[in-house]
Amino acid sequence: MKTMITLTVNGLKHELAVEPNRTLLDVLRYDLELTGTKKGCDMGECGSCTVILNGKPVNSCLVLAVQAKGSEITTIEGLKTADGLHPLQQAFVDKGAIQCGFCSPGMILSASSLLQRNPSPTEEEIRTALSGNLCRCTGYQKIIEAVRSVAERDEG
Amino acid sequence: MLLPKFDYHEPSSVDEAARLMGEIGGEASVLAGGTDLLVNMKMGKTVPKHVVSLSRIIELKEATREQGSLTIGACVTVADLRELEEVRAEYKGLFEGAGSLGSPLIRNLATVGGNLVTARPAADLPPSLIAYGATIGLKKETGERTLLLEEFFRGPGETMIEPGEILCTVVLREPPPYSGGGYVKLGVRRALEISLVNVAAFLALDGPSGPVREARVVLGAVAPKPIRALSAEHVLIGERPDEALFEKAGEAAANDAKPIDDFRASAEYRREMVKVLTRRALRQAYEEAKLREWRRWK
Amino acid sequence: MSEYSTVNSRAPRVDAPAKATGSAAYIDDIRLPGMLYGAILHSPLAHARILNIDTSRAKRLAGVKSVVTSEDAGLVKYGVSPARYDETLFCHDKARYVGDEVAAVAAVDLETAMEALSLITVEFEELPAVLTLEEAMAEGAPIVHDEYPRNMGAQVHQEFGDVEAALAQCDVVRTDTFRNKRQDGAFIEPQGCIAEYDANGNLTLRSSTQSPHYVQRTIAMVLGIPIGKLRVIKPYVGGGFGPKVAANAMEMAACLMAMKTGKPVKMNFTREEVFLYGRARHQFVHTLTTGAKKDGTLMALKNECYLEGGAYTSFGIATIYYAGSLLGGPYRLQNMKYDAYRVYTNKPACGAQRGHGGVIARAAWEQQLDRIAEEIGMDPVELRLKNMMEAGDVSCNDLKMNSLGMRECIEAVRDGSGWKEKKGRLPKGKGIGMACGFFVSGAGFPIYRSDTYHATVTIHVSEDGGTVHVYTASAEIGQGSDTAFAMIAAETIGIPLDSVRISSGDTEFGIDLGAYSSRQTLMTGHAVKEAAVDVRRQILGVLARELKVDISELDIKDGLIVFKHGRVDYSHVRNRYTKEHRGWPGIPKGREPLTFQEAARIAYLARGTIIGRGKYKPGELGGTHKGAAVGTSPAYGCSAQVVEVNVDMETGKITVEKMTDAHDCGFAINRTSVEGQMQGSLSMGLGEAMLEEVKFDGKGRILNPNLAEYKIATALDMPNVEPIIVESHEPYGPFGAKEVGEGAIMPTIPAILNAVYDATGIRFQELPLTPERVFMAIRAKTRESEQGANEQE
Repeated sequence: MKTMITLTVNGLKHELAVEPNRTLLDVLRYDLELTGTKKGCDMGECGSCTVILNGKPVNSCLVLAVQAKGSEITTIEGLKTADGLHPLQQAFVDKGAIQCGFCSPGMILSASSLLQRNPSPTEEEIRTALSGNLCRCTGYQKIIEAVRSVAERDEG
Repeated sequence: MLLPKFDYHEPSSVDEAARLMGEIGGEASVLAGGTDLLVNMKMGKTVPKHVVSLSRIIELKEATREQGSLTIGACVTVADLRELEEVRAEYKGLFEGAGSLGSPLIRNLATVGGNLVTARPAADLPPSLIAYGATIGLKKETGERTLLLEEFFRGPGETMIEPGEILCTVVLREPPPYSGGGYVKLGVRRALEISLVNVAAFLALDGPSGPVREARVVLGAVAPKPIRALSAEHVLIGERPDEALFEKAGEAAANDAKPIDDFRASAEYRREMVKVLTRRALRQAYEEAKLREWRRWK
Repeated sequence: MSEYSTVNSRAPRVDAPAKATGSAAYIDDIRLPGMLYGAILHSPLAHARILNIDTSRAKRLAGVKSVVTSEDAGLVKYGVSPARYDETLFCHDKARYVGDEVAAVAAVDLETAMEALSLITVEFEELPAVLTLEEAMAEGAPIVHDEYPRNMGAQVHQEFGDVEAALAQCDVVRTDTFRNKRQDGAFIEPQGCIAEYDANGNLTLRSSTQSPHYVQRTIAMVLGIPIGKLRVIKPYVGGGFGPKVAANAMEMAACLMAMKTGKPVKMNFTREEVFLYGRARHQFVHTLTTGAKKDGTLMALKNECYLEGGAYTSFGIATIYYAGSLLGGPYRLQNMKYDAYRVYTNKPACGAQRGHGGVIARAAWEQQLDRIAEEIGMDPVELRLKNMMEAGDVSCNDLKMNSLGMRECIEAVRDGSGWKEKKGRLPKGKGIGMACGFFVSGAGFPIYRSDTYHATVTIHVSEDGGTVHVYTASAEIGQGSDTAFAMIAAETIGIPLDSVRISSGDTEFGIDLGAYSSRQTLMTGHAVKEAAVDVRRQILGVLARELKVDISELDIKDGLIVFKHGRVDYSHVRNRYTKEHRGWPGIPKGREPLTFQEAARIAYLARGTIIGRGKYKPGELGGTHKGAAVGTSPAYGCSAQVVEVNVDMETGKITVEKMTDAHDCGFAINRTSVEGQMQGSLSMGLGEAMLEEVKFDGKGRILNPNLAEYKIATALDMPNVEPIIVESHEPYGPFGAKEVGEGAIMPTIPAILNAVYDATGIRFQELPLTPERVFMAIRAKTRESEQGANEQE
């Protein structure tokens, strides 16, 4: 039986009627049509479904939408500002950290969460923060460099 | 992938949850972090008629210390566990184990309680919790009880939890002076790994250079449940800690292990690794024990 | 100061902003009105006769719109190469592996489709299955395909020179056997498609594919659709790496059901289905015999290879050739013999994966060369340099290296890694190793016999505004081809990158064989360049006439018209433009330089819409021997790597600490993209060397069809890679460019193997180097030497 839930996604409140057996990922992608969050494995193993849930990056394929009721969620669509790309998005573009792009939304969100908690991470800390986001294209290096470039810039 | 259809319940207190579980417990799965349950449901391994979510129960997400005890709510996430000052300072083995679980994304959802009730032989939290002598608090409609965590596991996926019962707390006592813990996990890659073998160790010494007064060595992934390597502990008690002793303990622990061949590794390799990991975990525990001074809890 | 305006730079990719913001639409992001959801019924058995399929209950389920089996699909056989069309869309007489497609349904939602699958009853008669090379080749083994006795799906026998005679002259002869395990492509985006059939009988398929062209041809053939009424469009694709090149049963089933229902049908693979489908790297067992003189001259190579092929041939017909032909270089080798056997088994079919058949052959041989170097007492780097081919050389199997920066690559990694200081000097447990490799820049021939162009491109010049639009059917799958082509067009025409738009991956845009065999930069790049030259010629031709100058006096640079000698009066061109744009702010005026925009405008006014055309077909490529077609290419990329490892001698766990990689890509159209392909290749190579393996149980079921137990490298497993670009200026490449996408992976596995030897003293002849495999070998070696020491006492 469907339940009414309220999700605040990228600052916007949505009232939705959802069955309890729908994941947050599916509700975001198919009900709210926010398709920037990707489905790579649906089992919490690849990280392409990463969203920020109440301030923490999680695998949205492992969260029931009903569990997330009343929560604040940021998806990749919520990162861009009126002035343009988020610094991390811009860095990913500039540093060649994006190839096929399928892991990128999840990667960028995990990275943004890291920099909020830890504005000057070491390389090991960056790699650890991104260790739940798999990439098959880049070998991770330019991704690390992109995150570093934003961290270092904000230091100066 | 699709989830089966189920009725969803969100009790807002432990009592309400216990009452609910008393009614429908037989056909219900408890949902905490969901990192295990949702995967099992998607794979068709678990098809519950009811899902009882503990997400709204605030007290289960709290961690409090009082009078020499740290009480951790069962729904504290693995990530939050690592943020607790006490865990970082006093329970290094637990901190290490929690940090090796899954990935940072998984750790933001997975709960301490979940890692215990799912009773996976290779789970990352049980070995160090057992090594620290953790107890757990269980509650059901008709009452509460406390159990030594070590006695909680029965086999893969099986615990002493009774129908209608909920795991509510994990309690750690304050570690004595000159004590320390260690945890070593062996996997193939450095994240998103299920242990091939894991070992947790706890040493309490009489003084900074021993002898060993208390020793607990806990092996994971080499038996149907996490086990104490009693022969290893026997080797350690009363002796002065050094490399040679740890090596002897490792050999003894290998004999306590009961590993199997599976698609991840052979029993033979696992047994050999118990030796190595035991030695390393003991070394970690000793390094911490050497340096710890009495710390009075505020 | 670069002589180029756009190419050879680090221009950000043209599609990166869309990907960074999540607005790039991949197949599952697309939804069409009235869309149905499809699902496939897979065989649960590895080998079984199909006695009966009853779909009646499924068809009756409310919400089900179509249920199809081989009765509806027909029995047209297909595959990748016409030489081996050995599969039908659905099983009809037999299922040949766990996962083989038996039926499909389309329903109003996925839940209904899945329920419908459970209502299809299939009566199987289970047959004994063959799951390994040994089982499949055994006398009296169950046969997977009746037409192929002994399950011998394909054989290759080639000899160049006289191997036995050459071996007789050698001072050192080694024979070693090497094997890997079956791999998976593990792209992060699973396959998916949407088929749409309109009221006029036109079928449009959107699919996460590497080759809209091959998919179009295969589906037209199998379903009997006129090819002119079938359009295949590639949306954004989340990685391909090989398994997405050929048409799959899901695409065909979606098309069939779209035609039957008149509604769009969407289908996706779950991650498990990605594994069931397979079509990734084979297991190879190579027995190599190499002979050399004591001065290090390589004389002969005998290569016997068994490929565990799975239930169908797929790309394996090319794989079996590459596993031999790609050892023909980059060393001067006069004598090479190759005998290969691709064996059918009751497992998912294997196909092409990054580096194709060359990767494991290269791994085996580069380690063996290290062993030979050691026997002779020669530095492995010196052995390579001594035998290296030079630009202009032709290999014994007719591979012509028109450019070959192999020497530069080796020297770059040797010097960049500290090889001389470290080799043989690192403490036990630490090691350094090197290896080389090379790869084709595009298969010399299409997979079907034809004189077709390999790429056709058109460039439409906007009638006003000075922008151009490149149309190509090529496949941007994340490697950066769209950006490369936009850069080539911009450079060639002489306009900023910003003035170029590109649309790709649509069969309406022309012919392109797609993203495989590392072909796009060289082949499609040529066609883009040709079209761009055509655009320039047309526009400057009109301008020259208008200005009464010779066309050779004119150039276009950075969007402006350049007059090579003296001043030219272009005021009437400008006035015409100004008159047409009265009231427009920002248009060029007065004596400001004449713009491309204005020139393009008058060209349109003179000739109508300006369309530049380009096309590419390789020239004469050598080799008349059987199988010469596979391996031959207009150009070859090459690379060298040095890897440093740290082996935990107590657990066997290997950590790759540093990788230095030099790749000769001829000329880097986009330097950042080239580095990205290098780093990505290395991460796949590292995974294959140490982490990845598809595992089966005794009934042919995959034990690890997921990304937790099939382990690709995480961010914590990859070290930093120092990428060094070498540019040898390939004469047959556009701007001198040739490949990087697949060649870069070649040296990775052997460099790791050689480094592990340096660290442990152990030669590993089997992959992956899991901690257990390494530990057991270390223990065996320790016991051996203890025994030896005991015996000495």
